[in-house]
Amino acid sequence: MAWRRDRMDTERDGGGPPAIELRAVTRAHGRGASAVRALSGVDLALARGSFTAVMGPSGSGKSTFLQCAAGLDRPTSGQVLLGGEEITQLSENRLTKLRRSRIGFVFQSFNLLPSLTVLQNVLLPQRLAGERQDRRRAQQLLAEVGLAEHGSRRPGQLSGGQQQRVAIARALITQPEVVFADEPTGALDTRSAGEVLGLLRRAVDAMGATVVMVTHDPVAASHADQVLFLAEGALVGNLWRPDPQSVADRMMALTAAAGGFAGVAA
Amino acid sequence: MNGLARASVRFRPASFVGSFIALLLGAAIITACGALLQTGITAHVEPVRYADSPVVVSGDPYARISYQGSEGTESKQSALPERSRVESALTARIAARPGVAAAVPDLSFPVQAEKKSGALPVLTGRNFSAAALTAPGSSAPAEGHAPRAGEVVLEEAAARAAHLAPGDRVSLAAPGGSGNYVISGLAAAQADGPSVWFADGVAERLSGHPGTVDAIAVKPRDGITTSALAGQVRQAVDGRAEVATGDARGAVEEPALAEGRTVLIGLGGSFGGIAAMTAIFVVIGTIALAIGQRAREFAMLRAVGATPGQIRRTIATEAVILAPAAAALGVLPGLALARWWFGELVDRGAVPGQVSLDIGVLPMLAAVGTSVLAALTAGWVAARRPAKLRPSQALGEAAVEPARPGVTRIVMGLAALAGGGALAGLAARLNGSDAANTALGVVMCFLLAVALLGPLLARLCTSVLGLPLRASAAGAAGSLAADNTRAQARRLASAITPIVMVTAFCGTLIFIQSTIRHASAQNVKVAAVADHVLGSTGPGLPAATAERAARVPGVESATGVLRTGAVYRSGNELSSTTVLGISGDPAKLPKVLDLGVNSGSLSALGSSRDTVALDTSLAESLGVKTGDRVPLWLGDGTKVRPTVVATYERGLGVGQVLMPRAAVARHVSAALDGQVLVSAAPGADPKTVARQLAALSPQATVTDAAGYGVQADRNQELSSWANTVMAAVLGGFAAIAAANTLVMTVLDRRREVGLLRLSGTTHRQVRGMMRWEALLVAASGLLLGSAIAWTTLVPIARGLTGAAPYIPTGTALQLAAGAVLLALAATGLPTRALLRTRPIEAGTARQ
Repeated sequence: MAWRRDRMDTERDGGGPPAIELRAVTRAHGRGASAVRALSGVDLALARGSFTAVMGPSGSGKSTFLQCAAGLDRPTSGQVLLGGEEITQLSENRLTKLRRSRIGFVFQSFNLLPSLTVLQNVLLPQRLAGERQDRRRAQQLLAEVGLAEHGSRRPGQLSGGQQQRVAIARALITQPEVVFADEPTGALDTRSAGEVLGLLRRAVDAMGATVVMVTHDPVAASHADQVLFLAEGALVGNLWRPDPQSVADRMMALTAAAGGFAGVAA
Repeated sequence: MNGLARASVRFRPASFVGSFIALLLGAAIITACGALLQTGITAHVEPVRYADSPVVVSGDPYARISYQGSEGTESKQSALPERSRVESALTARIAARPGVAAAVPDLSFPVQAEKKSGALPVLTGRNFSAAALTAPGSSAPAEGHAPRAGEVVLEEAAARAAHLAPGDRVSLAAPGGSGNYVISGLAAAQADGPSVWFADGVAERLSGHPGTVDAIAVKPRDGITTSALAGQVRQAVDGRAEVATGDARGAVEEPALAEGRTVLIGLGGSFGGIAAMTAIFVVIGTIALAIGQRAREFAMLRAVGATPGQIRRTIATEAVILAPAAAALGVLPGLALARWWFGELVDRGAVPGQVSLDIGVLPMLAAVGTSVLAALTAGWVAARRPAKLRPSQALGEAAVEPARPGVTRIVMGLAALAGGGALAGLAARLNGSDAANTALGVVMCFLLAVALLGPLLARLCTSVLGLPLRASAAGAAGSLAADNTRAQARRLASAITPIVMVTAFCGTLIFIQSTIRHASAQNVKVAAVADHVLGSTGPGLPAATAERAARVPGVESATGVLRTGAVYRSGNELSSTTVLGISGDPAKLPKVLDLGVNSGSLSALGSSRDTVALDTSLAESLGVKTGDRVPLWLGDGTKVRPTVVATYERGLGVGQVLMPRAAVARHVSAALDGQVLVSAAPGADPKTVARQLAALSPQATVTDAAGYGVQADRNQELSSWANTVMAAVLGGFAAIAAANTLVMTVLDRRREVGLLRLSGTTHRQVRGMMRWEALLVAASGLLLGSAIAWTTLVPIARGLTGAAPYIPTGTALQLAAGAVLLALAATGLPTRALLRTRPIEAGTARQ
C-alpha cells in the first residue's frame, strides 16, 4: 500500500482554498407556510485531501447537505464554493459540466449503466464530456479497485460490492477535486463494505482525493478523518479520528434528542 | 452522438419491444390507409369498349360547387349516383367536324324478356350503331341484317341458349317501354354480358331518357392525332359535355369508378387521417411510458455529468434507431391489410373490379416518415422531464412519482375536453355518412383530454372503484391492488388510456351504426303499410307494371317506387341522399307508405313535376320549409329547384326525398321501379290478389309489407360494413396497444413483486392483486370510454334519428367482456412470467 498521510494534517493546505466550502447554506422544500427547512444555515470548509463522514438521524438533512454541496441541488440561500469558485450561481449546463469534470459520485445503488461494459462505465464521464477517453487510466483504476480482469463485463455480471468498486473507479477517472459518496455501503455485506471503504480511504491517501461520505453506519464513518453530525438541518458537532463506539454513542444521543422533537423535524 | 443510445438499444432490445410494436402497428395502419388513398387518387380503368375510339364524349360524373374559402376560391365535388349523360344532338355536331370519321352514340339499358321469352337472361339493350364500337369495320351482324323498327339483333350465345333463331318473335321490356320484336339477326358475344341491339331511334326511346345518350365515341379520319381530334370535339361540344381521351375513357365506360374513388379517398383520407392520428397518439404514449420506466437510468446519467441536451439527444437517437426498422416491418402487414380491405370493397361492389390496388412507394414513405416523426416527438415529449429536472430531483423522482400533472397539462387537457364538446355539437348537424368521420374527430379530442388528464382521472376512478376492494371483500390482494392503483396514478393512466381508446372507438362506430340501423328498421316497419309488395328478381319493374297492378281486381291503389339518389349542398359540403320516385296518385300514398307527414301534404306531390317532399331532418339541415324551393342535383347531375310540398318524419331507411316518378325517371340510368306497393280493396282475398300480381311479370315476386325492408339501402349496407371494419381496425389497433402497455407496466414491476414475495406474499396473492388491478384498469377504462362514446353518440343520434342512441345490450356486453378479458390476459401472462423468477433475484434486480 502506498504512503499514508498524517490523518491529523487535514488543514495541511492552509494556503490554498478549501476543497469544498459552504457559507450559510439553507435549503427549504416547498414554499410559503408549508415550507420545510432541510438545511438551516450550514457553514463548513473541508480541506483538500480529507476524508469526511456526515452522519445524523433520519431527516437530519444529510442527503440535502450532500446534494447541495455536490451541485446536484441548489441551496435556497447561501453559497457553495468548489476549490474557491462559487458554484451556486452557475447555469444548469455549467453545473453539469462542472460535475462531470471536477466532482465524482458514488451512490448507494444504480451507479452503472447496464448497457455499457465495466470499462465503458468507468469512461462514461469522459465520454459525456466528449473528451479523449483515457483507456489506460481507466484500466489502471480498475486494477486499483481489483477488477482489472472485468473490464469487458457488463454490470449485471458483477456482485453488488464489485459494482460499487466500479463506481469508485468511475468517480476517480476525471481526477475530481471532491468525491461525494451517498451511503456507498448501504446495500453491501460487511466484507464488501470493508473493501469499498478501504478503497475510498486509499483514494484519499494515495491519490490525494477529497472524499465526503454520507452514512448511517458508525463502522463506515470510522474510516474517515472526521465525522460531522447533523441534526435538524444544522451542524451539531464533529469528531476527529473517530472510532465506531464513540460515533455510535454520539448518534444515540442525537437520535434520542431528535425523538423528543418528533413531529417537528422533517 | 456519444453512442449511448446505440448501446442501449443493442444491449436491452427487450425494453424497446413495446415501443417497437407500437411503431410497427402504427406504420401498418398508415400504409394500409395510404395505399387505399393512393388507389383512390390514381384509380383508372383501361378502356375496353372504347379501346378503338380515341375520344369519348360523356357527361360530368360529379356534382361540383365552388365557394369563397379561406384560401380564395375553393371547390368540392361529389360523385353522382347515376350516369351523367350527353345530349344526343351533339352527335351530329361532332360528326360534322372535319377530323371526325364517325361519331357513334352509345346507349345501354337493362332489357328483360317478358312471359313466353322467359328463358332469356337479363340483357343489355344497345343501339345497333354502337355494335361498330366492339366489332370495328363491320356494320352488319354476323348473321341476318341490321334491326329496323320492330326488330332486334340478339347475341348468338343467348339466343342459342333460349332456342331462338332469326325470324322468331320475342317480347321484351325496357325502362322506356315493352314490345314485341322480330329477331332480325344474331351477333357475336360481348365482353360485358349478353346484349340485344335495337334500331337507334328505338333504342333511344327504350332507354327511358330520349334525347340523351350515355356517351358518344369518336373515331378520327386517317392522319388525325388524338389531341387534334379532342380539340375539334371540344369545340363541337362547347362545354356541354366532358371530352375524354386515354384512360379517362375507362371512367366513362365504368361510371361506378367515380363513386369507387370517392369511397377509397374517404377511407384512405378521412379515416386514414384519424387512424394516423391514433397511431401517432399510441406511439407517443408507449414511448413516453418506456422512457418514464428508465427514469433512474437518466437520473444517474444526469448526476455523473450528462447535460439535459445529451439526455434529449440520446432519447431522440434511440427513436431514430428504432422507428425506421419498426416502420419498415410494419409496411408488410399494412399492405396485407390494404389488400384484404380493397378486395372486400371490390366484392361488395363499392369499387369496380377492373381497378387494382395501387401500391406505391408514397404510402410506405409516409408510414416510415410519420413513424420516425412520431417517435422523435414522443422522445422529445418524454425527455423533457428527465432532462429538465435537477439531478437530485431526478434521483428522488425515480422512486416516488410526482404528485400531480403540471398546470399546462391540465389546461391543455381541459381545452381538448372543450374542443371535443364543441365538435360533438357540430356533428349533430351532419347526416349519416359524414357523422361517422366527425364522430371519430370528437373521440380523438376526448382521448387527447383523457391522455392529458389521465393521472387525475385515473386517481378519481380508482378511488371510487377501489372502495369496495378496500372494504375487504377481496381480501389482502384486493386492498393491495386498491392501494397500488391509487398511489401509482400515472402508471395506471398509461394502462387505462388504451382501454379507453378501444371502448370509445368501437363503441362510437358500432353504436352509430346500430342506432341508424335500428331507427331505419323502425321507420320501415312503421311506414310500410302496403298489403302487398311487388318486387323483382331482375333489375326492376317497368313503369307499366304499377299501372297494370292498379287494374288488378281487388287492388285499391298501386304505387311504383323508383329508387335513385340526389346530391344536395349543405353549407360548403356536398352530400348525397336517397330519392324515391313515386308513381300513381300521391294522395293514396299513405295507404301503402305511412311516412308521418309533419307539414304540408303529400297529395300536392305530383300536382306538377316540380315538387318534392323532404324528410324533416333533411329539410332542417337544408334550412328549407314547406313552400320553399330547394336546389338539388338529380341522379344524373341535372340541377333542379322543386318546391317543397311536404316534410315527413320517417325518411331514414325509407327514403329522404320523395319526388314524382315522372320528374326523376329521365334522370336515372335505368328507370325501373324497385317495388310496387299495393293496397288491397276492402274485402279482397289477399291470396287471389297476390296470385294475380305475381302473374304480371315472370320476374315479379309478391310479399307482404315486410318485404319492403328486404330491399335494404345498398349505401347503408355498405356504410354499415365500412363502419364495422373501421371499428375493427381502430379497435384492434387500440386493443393491441392496450395489451402492449399493460404488459410493459407489469414487467416494470419486477422489483415490487420480488419485494412482495420476500415479505411473505404468496403466488396466489400476487396473482390476485394483479387480477384486481387489471379489473380496476378495465373498469376505469370502460367507464371513461363509454362516457366518451355516449357524449359523442347522443348529439349525432339526435341529429340523425331524433332519438337517443340505440345500444344493443348483447353487443355492449361483448365489448365490455372483450375489454375485461384483454386487461386480464395482458396482466396475467406477464405476472406469471414475473413469478417464475426467484424472489431474491427479482427483489434486488436493477430495473
